[in-house]
Amino acid sequence: MTRLALLLVAALLVVPAAYASERHPSQAELEGEVMCPVCGTTLDQSDSPAAQQIKRVIARDIAAGKTKSQIEDRLVAEYGNAILAAPPRHGFGLLAWWLPIVGIVAAAVAVGVGAWRWSRAREPAPASVQVDPALERRLDDELRRFEA
Amino acid sequence: MARPVRLTAQVFAVAVVVGLLALLVWRVVHDNNKGVSQALDAGRHPTAPSFDLKRLDGRGSIDLASLRGKKPVVLDFWASWCQPCIHESKRLEAARKRYGDRIAFIGVDTKDFSDDARRWQREHGITYPSVHDGNGNVLATWGGLPIPRIFFVARSGKVVGELIVEEDLPRYLRQIAES
Repeated sequence: MTRLALLLVAALLVVPAAYASERHPSQAELEGEVMCPVCGTTLDQSDSPAAQQIKRVIARDIAAGKTKSQIEDRLVAEYGNAILAAPPRHGFGLLAWWLPIVGIVAAAVAVGVGAWRWSRAREPAPASVQVDPALERRLDDELRRFEA
Repeated sequence: MARPVRLTAQVFAVAVVVGLLALLVWRVVHDNNKGVSQALDAGRHPTAPSFDLKRLDGRGSIDLASLRGKKPVVLDFWASWCQPCIHESKRLEAARKRYGDRIAFIGVDTKDFSDDARRWQREHGITYPSVHDGNGNVLATWGGLPIPRIFFVARSGKVVGELIVEEDLPRYLRQIAES
């Protein structure tokens, strides 16, 4: 119940932030998510003329009130999907988001099943050993004498 | 796990590993033989890789292969953010006035904003048509960055050379005009 409440609170915190970011993206945020097409880094790490050109375009688009999706769509239309640092969350790009999660879950299931099978396959503990009654009596006597 | 299932899983795992290794080897080999520029450096004259890209001026597209056997081509890779491209494109524009009837001059605006590219052409008086290679895939097949890169393609479609020093321009222009 507590976990569910925590998840709900987290969702309530994240959703408005994501919505605000979509409606009013910041220059810094987009510079961290868009690649410089000639340097192999994100825009915020590059000062090349090509990066400066894209930074100017982003600044113009933000000033014009465009949403994050509109700005990203325009960049993709000009440069292709490789201009985004992260693959798009639709179409074939979705595979890049889900494949690692599916891989991790599959690996966890495989390890779990393996461990379960391994633990079940172990030799059962030997049945309790029958002790000779005479030997047992002698052992009790020795222990009593020792405690005395 | 049943023996056939285990065997199948093992064969699948080995196949995946072998596949990834093959991909790695292919990629390394592919990278070492990047494009036309590298072929020219090695003394070869490859056939110009074809492309079919949209024109910046919106008047349809240009299919390089369609010019094969019809007209020699000068191919100019440029971008509006590229400072040295201004000088080279202006030289080509001047050459186009002399050779324009015999040679097709084509610009390839690469990794660039098409709006900025059109503005750049107007500002610098570049009138030969350019296509837009936004993702740089065509540039990559010709040798990749840096730009400007200027190639000379004979009428047959073979790449004759790449402009390295200023004197290459009149020499290659004469050569392909007579091809």
